[in-house]
Amino acid sequence: MTTVPVWRGSSAFTQFTVLTGRALRTVVSSWQVTVLGLLQPVFMLLVISEVFGSMANPAYFPQGVRYIDYLMPGILITTGIGPAVSAGVGLIKDLENGVMARFRSLPIGMYWVLFGRGVADLARAAVQILVMLLGAVALLGFSPPGGVRGMAFALLIALFVTWSLAWTFIALGAFTRSAEVMQAVGFLAVFPLTFASSAFVPLDVLPGWLQAVATVNPLSHAVNASRHLTLSTAGGAEVPVALLASLVLAVLAQFVAMAGIRRKPLTA
Amino acid sequence: MSAPMIEATEIRMVFGEVKALDGVSLHVPEGEVLALLGHNGAGKTTLINILATLLPPTSGTARVAGFDVVSQAREVRRHIGITGQFVAVDRELSGTDNLVLIARLLGAGRREAKARAEELLEVFELTHTAGRPARTYSGGMRRRLDLASSLVGHPDVIFLDEPTTGLDPTGRLGLWEIVERLVKDGTAVLLTTQYLDEADRLADSVTVLSGGKIVAAGTASELKAGVGQHTVHVTLTDQAHTAAAVASLERAGLLPVADEESDKVSVAVEASTDLARVVRALDDAGATAAEIAFTQPTLDDVYLSLAAGRVS
Repeated sequence: MTTVPVWRGSSAFTQFTVLTGRALRTVVSSWQVTVLGLLQPVFMLLVISEVFGSMANPAYFPQGVRYIDYLMPGILITTGIGPAVSAGVGLIKDLENGVMARFRSLPIGMYWVLFGRGVADLARAAVQILVMLLGAVALLGFSPPGGVRGMAFALLIALFVTWSLAWTFIALGAFTRSAEVMQAVGFLAVFPLTFASSAFVPLDVLPGWLQAVATVNPLSHAVNASRHLTLSTAGGAEVPVALLASLVLAVLAQFVAMAGIRRKPLTA
Repeated sequence: MSAPMIEATEIRMVFGEVKALDGVSLHVPEGEVLALLGHNGAGKTTLINILATLLPPTSGTARVAGFDVVSQAREVRRHIGITGQFVAVDRELSGTDNLVLIARLLGAGRREAKARAEELLEVFELTHTAGRPARTYSGGMRRRLDLASSLVGHPDVIFLDEPTTGLDPTGRLGLWEIVERLVKDGTAVLLTTQYLDEADRLADSVTVLSGGKIVAAGTASELKAGVGQHTVHVTLTDQAHTAAAVASLERAGLLPVADEESDKVSVAVEASTDLARVVRALDDAGATAAEIAFTQPTLDDVYLSLAAGRVS
């Protein structure tokens, strides 16, 4: 009789690397999706800068700042929403294909399955944002006073926000277990969150009630922080606020996501 | 006798108002196959899910590979492989990558994982498509990859939920051979099936589930002794003759089963020569047959025999 190797489980580090690698591979498995994903934020940037830019009253914006320069830091932050939603969609696909049940039958921590999912879509967001940033610099002459350093820090804030939103959608996916419901909820949350914020227009131009909403909107703080870093505008205090808000959301969403996974058995 | 690899005691599972399992106990020793026979909704899949740690039972206890499926789930998962009724492979990954992924998660090194993947791909005749994403596979190929996935870690206990559903006859035969090889290496197998012949071919013991309860348990031959080696299915031209036909068949020393409200009579027989006795008995009763079929007994025949009290 031949002796067979006995494998009885892997370290948390192996689970993390293997599961993240696997999620990354599903992210890039289709080149069509990859290319379209890269084009999407560039399109958003072009469309919004043209539509809103055409009626932007210079009086509302910081002195000497073009609309595209004003818009870029905002788009930087909102670009991560797409990849964050796809983290939730990816989880639901795994649930529907029985892959999650397969993982559940293995001696591994389900947390690492979700974590890998989040990292993969964070990487997707990083590439998307970077491509858009380079595109804006090359094509639209985006050259803010904050320089490369400012852009790099703003990118980090954007990734922090993406990370917390990715966990939010993973949590939503784990609870609803339905792509339709998750996307409907996601749209309801994301649409007002994006537009009722300082991402596209200064808060001063908004009607009073909307201003109140936009001021407490955590996304506004992230956008303000990003703007501060790239455009060297006032608002340095927004940076820790944005980081803290993302951190709190990310931690909360992780607990909710794990509760969602435990709530309903993953059966074969 | 070796220690049981699967031991379930009084398992009960209630979903809301529905009793999916109502006090099921069974045990499977090392190197043996237990077939769970039953129709859809009998509770087979629920039991598999419970034993594979995917679903905690409402009450009752189960030990698999010596560990409790609820309190020692992680330990159990180190020793089991499960192939569910629905294929669970990552469709974006290639055949090789699917298997390497699982091997790595189980603790194999990179090279070991690759070697194990290649070995399994060969056994399941998937080598030629090893590099293609699983979404391009045919149903049967995906099914085989799924099965291979559950065998990566050389598990001590394997759960197969209707493993041959959706396979063509060659695939069925291939799977049977693989199960037989596993058992020879000492693996304990619990498989569910709707086919009596599958249970007969593979299983050391058979447990018949119906409505969440065990209605019969024994070896396949014990079960068959009650059901007969073959079954003659008779459809009468006139339903009014059913009772007379049954009486006549019984007088002839045969074991007919019929529903009084139906024009169909089933007779368990041992050999094809018994067919003549059936025809003669029908003739004696003045009943004419519209159709006579000589078949292997099916799960339905088992249920009918159980209802008639001939199998226990």
